[in-house]
Amino acid sequence: MTSSVSQAVFNDSTNLVEIRDVHFARGTRPILSDMTLTIPRGKVTVIMGGSGCGKTTVLNLIGGRLRPDRGQVMVDGLSVPDLNIKALYALRKRMGMLFQTGALLTDLSAFENVAFPLREHTRLPEALLRHVVLMKLETVGLRGARDLMPAELSGGMARRVALARAIVMEPMMIMYDEPFTGLDPISKGVIAKLIRELNDALGITSIVVSHDVADTLAISDYAYLLGGGRILAQGTPQALQQSTAADVRQFMQGLPDGPVPYTYPARAYIEDLFDGGSP
Amino acid sequence: MRAFQYLGGAALDGVERLGRATLFLYEVVSGSWMLVRRFYLVIEQVYAVGVLTLVIILVSGGFVGLVLGLQGYNTLAKFGAADSLGLLVALSLVRELGPVVTALLFAGRAGSALTAEIGLMKATDQLAGMEMMAVNPVTRVIAPRFFAGIVSMPLLAALFSVVGVLSGHMIGVGLLGVDVGAFWSQMQNGVDFYDDILNGVIKSVVFGVVVTGIAVFEGYDAVPTSEGVSRATNRTVVYSSLAVLGLDFIMTALMF
Repeated sequence: MTSSVSQAVFNDSTNLVEIRDVHFARGTRPILSDMTLTIPRGKVTVIMGGSGCGKTTVLNLIGGRLRPDRGQVMVDGLSVPDLNIKALYALRKRMGMLFQTGALLTDLSAFENVAFPLREHTRLPEALLRHVVLMKLETVGLRGARDLMPAELSGGMARRVALARAIVMEPMMIMYDEPFTGLDPISKGVIAKLIRELNDALGITSIVVSHDVADTLAISDYAYLLGGGRILAQGTPQALQQSTAADVRQFMQGLPDGPVPYTYPARAYIEDLFDGGSP
Repeated sequence: MRAFQYLGGAALDGVERLGRATLFLYEVVSGSWMLVRRFYLVIEQVYAVGVLTLVIILVSGGFVGLVLGLQGYNTLAKFGAADSLGLLVALSLVRELGPVVTALLFAGRAGSALTAEIGLMKATDQLAGMEMMAVNPVTRVIAPRFFAGIVSMPLLAALFSVVGVLSGHMIGVGLLGVDVGAFWSQMQNGVDFYDDILNGVIKSVVFGVVVTGIAVFEGYDAVPTSEGVSRATNRTVVYSSLAVLGLDFIMTALMF
């Protein structure tokens, strides 16, 4: 009953993902509190925030790997926490996810990694499968690297192979978890270009989780800034960059002190030094 | 008071882990129907788990057989029963040493490798990545390894015994001068197919289930950090060795 009601309310074709009043805690520590956020179809949406502010948790909620304590997570009109395992897997076949490390299967070559979802979910004839895989590898510019093992790929190449794998099932959306972390400037540029191009050419909805302000804002249509489990600000990249709010400015400009304090909470320094007792 | 609290907490943790392991193994077994269609996944793992363990098993079986031959001859010769050397070597191997020593070596070589592999797959997001590709890692990664272990263990134990008997023959007949006819005929008379060989096979199958089960569970349950994987590998070897020795006592008491 509830799901049909919520579908009627949420079945808004402009938004692919709707997260409404979601609360999520690990043990007693709240990660997300009363978060509401929507991801429009066909756009690149960025979720930014400091380390440990719950960005990746948002992706895990959308992908159904975590369940919210309260609130709704709707993807393409389906309530993710209410899906049974079969329906969830059916939904995941329409989602791609790029992990921070790439998460390539280390015992398979680049070609076999990209072929993996096809081999698991389809019964394509070998010749056709080869065509599809080579096309996807060509999209990320790594057709020539098909026989390399993951250990032989550089960080940027591994992420591109993982991206080819993420799009091999022709998903409706791709989630990028920190796609720029640990890459050199050239690889960053390549990944940024790919995110934008795949989004526009294939009509995919993209969600990018990152703390890399410059690289991410350059390719995004809309941005959310998270902090302390809430949304601090949202808007177009320009609007966020021109924001005068102290917490937004601290993040955008990378200021060491501000609303997010430089020092970890502790008792008075003098008292601590001259206590002389236990550490 | 503190000690009681600690004891209670440790016991509860243990029971909880045992429960998780049982549910996990249930999931592995119930998800394994897909292996019928994709049996090559099991074959691949039989190579990794079984064939690559072959060297250590064969070499150890050889030395155990040599030592059994020497020690057995010394003792039997005192009673003038050196002709029974073949029987002694064969029974020791088939009933006890074959399954038990193989299981211990298997835990050290294959079990630890399984735990480390699965734990590192978890630490590098490979299992999470599979989940997000709508592939269940329990049926795709764990189940083939589990069944490969169960298939490999009895075969390895059998080979261990074969090599042991042959090297016992080498030392007894070749070096110490036991009569070759007596060696084999005593063995043939004294070793019963059901009582000795089949029970030995049952033991090794049980050890295969236990060792591989512990190994895959510890890997899957590992804390996904380098320290966590190292601890899990450690636990695999300790728990499965203890389980093998304990179960061996129970099964021996019931069987013989």
